[in-house]
Amino acid sequence: MPPGAKRAIYVLVRLLAAVVVGALLGLVFGHVWAGVAAALAGYLAWQLWLLISLDAWLRNRRAVDPPDIASGVWGDVVTQVVRLHRRKRFHKDRVMRVLRELRRSTAAMPDGVVVLNGDNEILWFNQKAGEYLGLTRKADLGLRIDNLVRHPEFNRYLHSGQYTLPAVVRVDPGADRYLAFQLVRYGEGQRLLMVRDVSRQVRLELMRKDFVANASHELRSPLTVISGYLETLASEPSLPPDIAEPLGEMRRQSVRMTQIIENLLVLSRLEATEGQVAGESVDVAEMLSTLRKDVMARPVHPAKVDLQIESDARLVADEAQLHSAFMNLLDNAAKYTPASGSVTLRWWHDAHGGHFSVIDTGPGIAHDHIPRLTERFYRVDVGRSRATGGSGLGLAIVKHVLQRHGAELEVQSEEGQGSTFTCHFPASRLDLPVTRVASG
Amino acid sequence: METADLSHHISRRYNADLERVRSKVMAMGGLVEEQLSKAVAALIEGDSNLGVTVARDDYKVNDMEVSIDEECQRILATRAPAAGDLRVIVAIIKTITDLERIGDEAEKIGYIGSRLASMERPADKYREIKHLGRIVAEMLHEALDSFARMDAEAAIQVAHKDRIVDEEYEAIQRQGITFMMEDPRNISRALDVMWVVRALERIGDHAKNICEYVIYVVHGKDVRHTRLEDVERELRGRADG
Repeated sequence: MPPGAKRAIYVLVRLLAAVVVGALLGLVFGHVWAGVAAALAGYLAWQLWLLISLDAWLRNRRAVDPPDIASGVWGDVVTQVVRLHRRKRFHKDRVMRVLRELRRSTAAMPDGVVVLNGDNEILWFNQKAGEYLGLTRKADLGLRIDNLVRHPEFNRYLHSGQYTLPAVVRVDPGADRYLAFQLVRYGEGQRLLMVRDVSRQVRLELMRKDFVANASHELRSPLTVISGYLETLASEPSLPPDIAEPLGEMRRQSVRMTQIIENLLVLSRLEATEGQVAGESVDVAEMLSTLRKDVMARPVHPAKVDLQIESDARLVADEAQLHSAFMNLLDNAAKYTPASGSVTLRWWHDAHGGHFSVIDTGPGIAHDHIPRLTERFYRVDVGRSRATGGSGLGLAIVKHVLQRHGAELEVQSEEGQGSTFTCHFPASRLDLPVTRVASG
Repeated sequence: METADLSHHISRRYNADLERVRSKVMAMGGLVEEQLSKAVAALIEGDSNLGVTVARDDYKVNDMEVSIDEECQRILATRAPAAGDLRVIVAIIKTITDLERIGDEAEKIGYIGSRLASMERPADKYREIKHLGRIVAEMLHEALDSFARMDAEAAIQVAHKDRIVDEEYEAIQRQGITFMMEDPRNISRALDVMWVVRALERIGDHAKNICEYVIYVVHGKDVRHTRLEDVERELRGRADG
């Protein structure tokens, strides 16, 4: 038998007992019904009293002990309430504990975290974020982040909607403090802003650039002296052949070394300037025909170097940088194409912008090498590039020059079929003859 | 802080208008802060390119002033703001004038910085200017913070700093005079440096003005040309009463 039913029978028996006692007492005094009524009224009054005391306890559970109702349905109700309450408190404590742990762990995170809503208002932030961005607890909740973090670069990043890459902002140009901002979208229009102090990385990067620039610069002068003497010595006709040959090799290697250092200097100069170059209008067709002549004047060159100028558009660019990029591309093609092969230079434009291709019939490049070609000193075939005297920096220079001009390098190649290197310049860099006439 | 709570308007568009113009002011403030710190860096590091960039970019500040001004006029004409909102609009119109002037001073510093870059740098490497520049940049930053938060207490604290700036200005001026008397060949550069210091001192004044507008918005009281101590006492008394 379930406890509820047992309890119900017990209560009924008690009520019945009260009625019987009332009836017996009534019989003694000669008014049976009055006795029953009095017993029922008494029973009702007792129940009401219990109900009132239960209500008083429920209203003020913390301060007052539960009413002493050991038996009957009310006692059961009290037990149930106490149990429910205890279970609720247990769950609440657990949730609170988890929440506290979460808060503590995000507060202890080395990065700053700010939660933003769709209107860029601050919903929450951890201690580190407050430290980095100068936010104060409580007062700044609900304020717009762009009103408090006012760096124009951050503002641009926040409103750009392009959050794949973090934005690195020099917080105070006087002090060397750099913060990286990264926004992550989540939920309905909410965003998480992560702030990281990258001063150390940026400073290391600057040091590396400085070091490369200084080292190449310092190496240049002693090398000039060495190559100078080697040149004079190697041109001496009376040298015995067992000395002449190593001397010649030394001279070739010193020329190569000079070239590497020159290229390193060009690279570090390219790295030193940030953002895009403005430049002036450059006649691409003329530059390409000069480059072609230079290549044909070399002692060893491909049999055919074709020029396909399909556009008379000029390019707004830094002429010296552009020349060195195109020169490097052509140089590579000429070096890797056998004397019987051909190299084609093509310049054309369409709605997307201007395009320059160098197409060769050389040995081609395996697919897994292509993504890494523009890394410094990356070699597909170490032995061969030594033999041809490459510096390993040519394509790195090309990449940097193109970046400065908002352009991209595309490499297509099949092993044994030759390679095509294409530079895609944005339309904004084009200087079309129509607009020239209109403006002139 | 009644005015920081702009969400009580029935018209959502009105709210959005007010919020947008406020954000634009803060963005302009951010731009001006950057201009100032770049200008000072150009001078101290002898970076003539940076100085020229600062001088060239001043038009951006001017453009923002014009656009915010127009927007404020539009709000005044179409929404006819009253009480707290009216004070906010009035304070914004005044603030952008001060910000634009700060931009002009930064342009001046950038220009002088690019000119001085070609000359030999003094032995102390403009230590005083670096110090003063830092105080002024901090002051501007905190003034704009107090504007963003509409925090009158902070605004009063920032306004106090103007006195430090004035003292520094006088000290550098005295030093400059000694410098010029020592060797007349220094006069040309010392004069240029004085221009820069003067510009920084003016920026401090403009930052103080911005703080006064914050107090005006929050307490509805015009505290210009009043001693700071009096302002403080009166506002405190009001808060206690």
